[in-house]
Amino acid sequence: MSSRDAIALGIQVSGVALAPLLVGGVQSVKARLQGRRGSGPLQPYRELRRLWRRSAVDPLGAGPVYRAAPLLVGAALALCLLVVPVAAYGTDLPAGHDILVVAGLLALARVAMALSAWDTGGAFGLMGASRDLTFAVLGEALLVMVALVAALPADTTDLQAMWSASAGGAIWTEPAHWCGALAMGLVVLLETGRQPIDNPDTHLELTMIHEGPLLEYAGRDLAILQWAAAARHWVVLVLAAGLFLPHPHSFAPAIAALALGVAALVIALGVVETWQAKMRLLRVPPILLAGTAVALLGLVSWVAGGGL
Amino acid sequence: MTDALAILLCTGVAVLAVGAALAARRPALAPALAAQAAGLLLVGIAGGISLLDGLSAGSGFTSDLQPAVGVDPLSGFFLLMIGVVGVPAAVYATGYLGATSHPRALAVLTGCFPLALVGVVTARDATLFLASWELMTLIPAAAILISHGGGAARRAVFEYLAITHLGGVGVWVAVLMLAERGALGDPAGLAAAGTGVQTLVAVAGLIGFGTKAGLVPLHSWLPRVHPLAPSNISAVMSGVMVKVAIYGIVRLLFEWVGGPALWVGLVVLGLGALSALAGILYALFQRDLKRLLAFSTIENVGIATLALGAAAVFTARGEESWAALALAAALLHCLGHAAAKALLFLAAGSIERGAGGLDLDRMGGLLRRMPRTGAGLVVGALAIAGVPVLSGFASEWTALQSLLGLGRQDAIAPALAGGLGAAILATTVGLGAICFVKVIGLALLGAPRVPAAAGAVEVPRAMWAPVAALGAACAALGLVPGLLVPSLAALAPGGADLAPGAGIAAPGTSLPTLGIALALAAGTAALLVARGRRAAAPAPVWACGQAIEPPLAWTSAAFTKPVRLTLWELLRAESDVRAVTQDGVLREVRHRGGVPHLFDTMLYAPVLRAALAGAAGARRLQSGSLRLYVGYLVGLVVLLLLLARVGALG
Repeated sequence: MSSRDAIALGIQVSGVALAPLLVGGVQSVKARLQGRRGSGPLQPYRELRRLWRRSAVDPLGAGPVYRAAPLLVGAALALCLLVVPVAAYGTDLPAGHDILVVAGLLALARVAMALSAWDTGGAFGLMGASRDLTFAVLGEALLVMVALVAALPADTTDLQAMWSASAGGAIWTEPAHWCGALAMGLVVLLETGRQPIDNPDTHLELTMIHEGPLLEYAGRDLAILQWAAAARHWVVLVLAAGLFLPHPHSFAPAIAALALGVAALVIALGVVETWQAKMRLLRVPPILLAGTAVALLGLVSWVAGGGL
Repeated sequence: MTDALAILLCTGVAVLAVGAALAARRPALAPALAAQAAGLLLVGIAGGISLLDGLSAGSGFTSDLQPAVGVDPLSGFFLLMIGVVGVPAAVYATGYLGATSHPRALAVLTGCFPLALVGVVTARDATLFLASWELMTLIPAAAILISHGGGAARRAVFEYLAITHLGGVGVWVAVLMLAERGALGDPAGLAAAGTGVQTLVAVAGLIGFGTKAGLVPLHSWLPRVHPLAPSNISAVMSGVMVKVAIYGIVRLLFEWVGGPALWVGLVVLGLGALSALAGILYALFQRDLKRLLAFSTIENVGIATLALGAAAVFTARGEESWAALALAAALLHCLGHAAAKALLFLAAGSIERGAGGLDLDRMGGLLRRMPRTGAGLVVGALAIAGVPVLSGFASEWTALQSLLGLGRQDAIAPALAGGLGAAILATTVGLGAICFVKVIGLALLGAPRVPAAAGAVEVPRAMWAPVAALGAACAALGLVPGLLVPSLAALAPGGADLAPGAGIAAPGTSLPTLGIALALAAGTAALLVARGRRAAAPAPVWACGQAIEPPLAWTSAAFTKPVRLTLWELLRAESDVRAVTQDGVLREVRHRGGVPHLFDTMLYAPVLRAALAGAAGARRLQSGSLRLYVGYLVGLVVLLLLLARVGALG
């Protein structure tokens, strides 16, 4: 393993610790834009520490599925961190680097949460879970179309090769890449559960989507689930910055470009969240469908233009 | 080696036949069903050997009309599938049939059904093929009529036979035309016969096999009949019988027609996409567990057909290694679905016994009451929903990869078909996740919703052990699909040099299933240790301070409401809310709603009405009046004379 691969792997693994920083970053950008001082980007770490010290409360009648779900969600997201590479470097970990594996692991986490909601039988958890799964129907189609558009220059769905193929400036002359970037923006909003699609800071049970199934959890279980939500930010932001933000071929500048790209996306999320109100539930699927159509348009333009 | 294969297969079939005959003669069913299971085990082993070692035995395809049998790796794969599903189904029948009304007759049919299936996949001439094909259609009909005597069942069986026979004409036309032109044994197939004949045979075959496979819009019989059959027969119907139609499509497209045309591939791909999406959409809104599973079969046959269509398009474009990958995806999906769907039908039968019904809204909490069947049902439902790392994920990943490969082709029609196909497959998988989360949640989790569910008891071992075995098969297919995929890819005309291994290695990317599973297990274990021993205080579930009573429990309709609202226009869903007031006081609010099966109401109903109107019109010709008949005869003679006069009769 070369030193570059070691550094890339180190960054990948440090995602476990750095992921909550992204959530804290979005929150503090939002606070600044709203004219508040905010609690700073480190606040998620304080919350995780507080939750980790607390004991759990189990809803009456919940069974093994409810107790296993946080573990499975945490493991799936941790594995996601290892599947999404940093630049085109890092070793071949046992799970490979395929973008469709990321989609599968995110689906696994979603299914585990929905099953935990069924195990409690609570209406709010099931309301949130059913909405989350409904959005995911078109969200998965969108993610697959983004994967297809991003895979066009590389001719593979291996993320390291896709990263290499989208490096440099030539790719930006392709309309397909712009279409893919637009669709990826929707994927970021959906998977991070941010406004205008979902509101992670909501305390009103009736409007919850991602937060609904978390309602019953407490203590370390809740800490794991909150960390998993932060890890989901890391996964989609690194994917978006790596595939659809400009980055050079060589190693050190590529890492710098990635860091800048993720920071820019964090700020962008904060801005969008301040500027956009949460949209009505039934307006989300048409927008996701429109994103899929944009990606399909990108595919057509690529084939019609004969590729790079 | 070839002789050994033939002997193994013949022994298996003989033991199976003896088992079927024993059931008719002896009062004790267990030995007969055990013989059937042993025979099916031998058949499955023979099929597996043929597939993995690439062995053929017996005759090749012949256009002569004398009976000929043989096995090649493609037939071997389907024999393996018959074994994987048939053995657990036969074992299950030992515990299940005893409580039915006619156990002996059903036990005979339990043995005859796989015999007919083996006949279809090993027939090497037109007559034996068509004869086994018809038997395969008739045996489930007999099983339903024996187990349900009512008028509704008779009507469903009539519709089943009517639709599959009308559609099945296509199979006869295709196979007899192939035999007539000597194309059945010819490696070049129909290539010499010209495009007109090729098109005719391809279209006729697709209609015939597609009807039996349950492809939309020829699927209407499937959700009516699968729920009615006894569970062990349903499992074989849904697991294998519809896949035997896929066997026919594979033979037709890749061997008999002699290289599919591009448009044929695109049509197959489109039919598959439509079936996948329509199947899962209607499965989602079902409350009857077996009916839901039947619709889900349409979905999964659609996914396999989608991948077959991609393989045909790749073949037409000369991309042989991609075609091989797409074909492997289709076949892997068939096998994975066979195991998972057989599991689900068997588990549904156990739940019907244990909890007294199949209405999903009247179950709940069965994982506690029926832990073994319940755990099996969880594995099967997650496998069919495409959750990593079970069988559905491996095959859907491969299918998605081949569709994405099609999307990267440099011509607009295949690229667009690949892109749309991939998007539709992803949507289907997403809807499948909702559907089977709903099944697990409603049936197994939470609190019992009715007293019958609270009093459910676990079924005897003969009924839960087959479910557990099929669950293990789903897990194995998900963990090490790479052991099978290279052999499946080698079935394609071009063949592919995919390296055997635990996972799947496609061109340009790979799916290390075992690595993912181990990493997930390690991560879960690490988190379990980190979480430590948790002392949890019990507290009621938060429902704004109310207690969660049965009327507040979440139902099937509630869980699928976001999808229903999103697709309201497309589904033409119905909703009717009525407020009942008495003396100006609101007493109750009644809500009725549902999702009608649009293919029945908008496609089949008008056709049926037109047919009945036509029949009523034709009846007027048959007035019974002798003078009128004499008039018809005179008119006919005059017409013939006139035609002869102008020379139209040659």
